[in-house]
Amino acid sequence: MAELSYREAVRDAIATAMRKDDDVFIMGEDIAEMGGSMGVTQGLLDEFGPERIRNTPISEIGIVGAGIGAAMQGMRPVVEIMYEDFLTLSAEQIVNQAAKHRYMSGGQLKVPLTIRTQGGAGWSPGAQHAQQLESWFVHIPGLKVVFASTPTDVRGLLYSAIYEDNPVVFFEHRTLYGLKEEVPDELEPIPLGQARVMREGEDVTVVATGRLVHEALDAANQLEEQGVSVEVVDPRTLQPLDEEAIVESVKKTNRCVVAHEAVTRMGFGAEVAAVVQHQAFDWLDAPIERVGAKFAPIPFAPVMEEFVVPHAKDVVEAIQRTVQRDGD
Amino acid sequence: MATEVKLPRLGQGMESGTVVRWLKQEGERVEKGEPLYELDTEKVTQEVEAEASGVLLKIAVQEGEVPVGQTVAVIGEEGENVPQAEKPEETEADETEVDETPQEEGSRAPERDAEREEGAEASAARESSEQVTEVRQPDRNGRVKASPLARRIARERGIDLAQLRGTGPEGRIVAEDVERAEIAPAEAPTAAPAAAPPGEVEVVPLTSIRKTIARRLTEAWQAPVFQISMSADMSRSVALREQLVELAKDGPKPTISDVLTKIAASALMRHRRLNAEFAGEEVRIHPSANVGMAVATDRGLVVPVIRGAERLSIQEIAAARVELVDRARGGKLQQADLEGGTFTISNLGMFGVEQFIAVLNPPQVAILAVGAVEEKPVVRDGEITARPLMSLTLTCDHRAVDGADAADFLRTVRSMLEEPGLAL
Repeated sequence: MAELSYREAVRDAIATAMRKDDDVFIMGEDIAEMGGSMGVTQGLLDEFGPERIRNTPISEIGIVGAGIGAAMQGMRPVVEIMYEDFLTLSAEQIVNQAAKHRYMSGGQLKVPLTIRTQGGAGWSPGAQHAQQLESWFVHIPGLKVVFASTPTDVRGLLYSAIYEDNPVVFFEHRTLYGLKEEVPDELEPIPLGQARVMREGEDVTVVATGRLVHEALDAANQLEEQGVSVEVVDPRTLQPLDEEAIVESVKKTNRCVVAHEAVTRMGFGAEVAAVVQHQAFDWLDAPIERVGAKFAPIPFAPVMEEFVVPHAKDVVEAIQRTVQRDGD
Repeated sequence: MATEVKLPRLGQGMESGTVVRWLKQEGERVEKGEPLYELDTEKVTQEVEAEASGVLLKIAVQEGEVPVGQTVAVIGEEGENVPQAEKPEETEADETEVDETPQEEGSRAPERDAEREEGAEASAARESSEQVTEVRQPDRNGRVKASPLARRIARERGIDLAQLRGTGPEGRIVAEDVERAEIAPAEAPTAAPAAAPPGEVEVVPLTSIRKTIARRLTEAWQAPVFQISMSADMSRSVALREQLVELAKDGPKPTISDVLTKIAASALMRHRRLNAEFAGEEVRIHPSANVGMAVATDRGLVVPVIRGAERLSIQEIAAARVELVDRARGGKLQQADLEGGTFTISNLGMFGVEQFIAVLNPPQVAILAVGAVEEKPVVRDGEITARPLMSLTLTCDHRAVDGADAADFLRTVRSMLEEPGLAL
């Protein structure tokens, strides 16, 4: 067992695939000499050289478009969009091209492209650099969407994403890069579409993604002292969604909270809530609670940013609402 | 600040009471001291007054037996937030009511909207529970607020959600409530059953009063009692009573019972061992004669007490008696009216009963049963003559009273009835 940070785990997944397979290469802004804005790709240039570790101009639509072209020609490109806020610039290529070619060509073409990106609040990067936009892409048929929350998961899932024959939008959360964990020496691929029960519990299921997985685990520890037993489920892959695992958990606990850093309204959690209420209606003992950011741009002022995005205490409060009894 | 209305302890030994009906509706304004609801205790049904002024925000217990101290309602300021337990869905009738009191509109209308929004969720289950609800609780034909899980468990186990009390937010029935209900089935509602068709046994559940009568008289039956009886010539008492009636003018007209109460009280002061309670290891002899009179009401027998009867005039006794009997028949007796009796008189003379034996009213040690005043032949000075006689039968608890004491007392009563001046 080796200890890897989330950052190192991402790098290890890329390097492992690149060592194994010449078709894998990476492209993005400042990913070569600089090693990426988050340091994720540091050292890769030395090992793999500029042919396979390619800096690009500042043109997100160009980066993704080039990736799509290479993918359709049989490569397995991993392109990086420096901040997920900039996915807006490449949305045409992702939504209208990458997601559609396999369908429109009747399966003659495949787009085995991985679009890595990162984002999130916590460092006060301001309204244009701190968003969580995963719900835009889970809404597009033809795309797969991953959001990993631990070193082990990000490593195994990124590797699987690289070998996925459909385009994958792969979200990382910037505050997680320093998170360390013991991981297996040998990379173990994790199939897309499988949720992970991060913590078992009896009273309520928290379905959380990204940073909120850790906030939910924190909340669970706090509530354990109050006698509330919390199960935390991380879907890990948002599209396709492991509905079975989520529903199974809720059928056990009879209560559900969904939690993500993205804005609550129309967020990914709304879909989870819909799935749960439909498939586990007769098992619900309380309304499903949602935790997410307030419906506002992420403020620059740290104290305001902190106020807008959710934390463990918000998860705690939501859980308490689901287990609340009159007189509490 | 909302005030919780808790079931009061109206007398020593009162553990619970039965909420009979509410005199105010949810949302209605109440003033401190106004009658709020009717409470049926072991001894009486009485109106309970509001302890605070404000709006009756919530009735937690519409009817039924409740332990002392439990919250039965909440009074607070309009719009104040209280958990809204078992709020019945507004019916058309309720709408009319609301219209009559427009100040409620502001606070209640949005609440209803919110309920309607949630209504779809419950509508399916409502159909199945509604029929039962209507039969058992005609005033609650609203939907039942329950979680889907609670509904499923109830469905699978055949439990009627309408009979449960929800402990979830806003009174929602949650799974745990149903689980609990299965362990301890909800008490059967006390509403009187419909009249039985001919040939069938009519089952009448005991009211609180009836239960008390049953319990106390069963207790009394265990006491080792003896009875002695005498007849009193009532000529002078009847004459006295007629005089008093003439003097009464507009006031209450004294009866033979009032004369007897006064005389019994005077006699008790001279034979205080009879004016006592038997308390296991001791006999408590009271300094004053608090004479209970057995009163038949359509709810059952009650025994209101005339306090310090030895100090009252017959007129005053008559006034007290009229008031107590009126209140007893109207179901308006207070707990205090029934407490502290030291001796009881039961008079069935008005029903033409010549003589009977009363059952002890514990912990009192004696009770006097009185028959009708009737003309009977008696031998006086060797002659048979007709005299108005009244039978007196004294039942005594032999643990506290011996036969000679009882006979002494009864002889005094008889002497005083025959010569009322002796009571002075």
